[in-house]
Amino acid sequence: MRWLQAAASEVIGLFVGDWFQTGISVAILAAGWLALPRLRVEGAAYVLAAALAVQLVLATAAEARRKKA
Amino acid sequence: MGAQLLTFGAAFLGSGVESVEALTIVLAVGLTRGWRAPLLGTLSALGILALLVLIFGQLIVTRVPELTLKLIIGTLIVLFGLRWLHKAVLRSAGVVAMHDENRAYVQTVESLREDHEKTDWIGFTLALKGVFLEGLEVVFIVIAVGGTSGGMSVAVAGGLLAMLVVAGAGVIIRKPLAQVPENTLKYAVGIILTSVGTFWAAEGMGVSWPLDFVSILGLAILYFVASRVAVVLIRRPVFA
Repeated sequence: MRWLQAAASEVIGLFVGDWFQTGISVAILAAGWLALPRLRVEGAAYVLAAALAVQLVLATAAEARRKKA
Repeated sequence: MGAQLLTFGAAFLGSGVESVEALTIVLAVGLTRGWRAPLLGTLSALGILALLVLIFGQLIVTRVPELTLKLIIGTLIVLFGLRWLHKAVLRSAGVVAMHDENRAYVQTVESLREDHEKTDWIGFTLALKGVFLEGLEVVFIVIAVGGTSGGMSVAVAGGLLAMLVVAGAGVIIRKPLAQVPENTLKYAVGIILTSVGTFWAAEGMGVSWPLDFVSILGLAILYFVASRVAVVLIRRPVFA
């Protein structure tokens, strides 16, 4: 049973390190899913990528600040 | 051809990194307690993992509509890739210690010596658990990149070749592969997976990319620059 629990937490751990940061990434993707098909502008998907890149910078900086504190 | 090469490369690199970590566990168990039990454990884990690829790979490819598949798997790959990239940035910035195969090996050997009185199923279970848990990431990478690109066989080949190369190197040198630039590889794979995931997730949303899959290169540059910005920001002396 403990082995199954370890496997389950390993599977979740593949995608989730910090629930808050993962939630923001999912929210960005959900916003993209709602907005991008309506924009009909080629290359608009780069906005989605830029938002995820900014999220990466902010999330890693926040975690580094927490670890250094 | 380019897309297949990308699929193969992502599966090969991702699987290779995880195989190095699994090999460290198997070597530690085998050199401490003998080879029979850990090899059986390794083979059992590989059997279960192959079954997972076969079942989920087939289910995903045959049952899920293409756009839905790209959106769901793309989203999962983005989350998976961002997680690797996140760790790689913190390691590069010196906030988190680099993964050290030699240290992982010594820790496993020491814990096994403490358990020396117990029977050999410990060696079997440790190898099985280590290979299975590390292999789950390999399974995800292979199914994700293979399923969404329509190149499952190419992804499986990439994953298998990586495992064979790492296992072969392990048999030859019989030491943890500490010389493999594991952290750099994880950094690179994190960028590739996040780029590929973003590309497929957006396609799943019904959006087309300029220059089709060549856009993945632009995405990789974007995520690389973002990750370096993060490292520089974290390393600044005023950062606290």
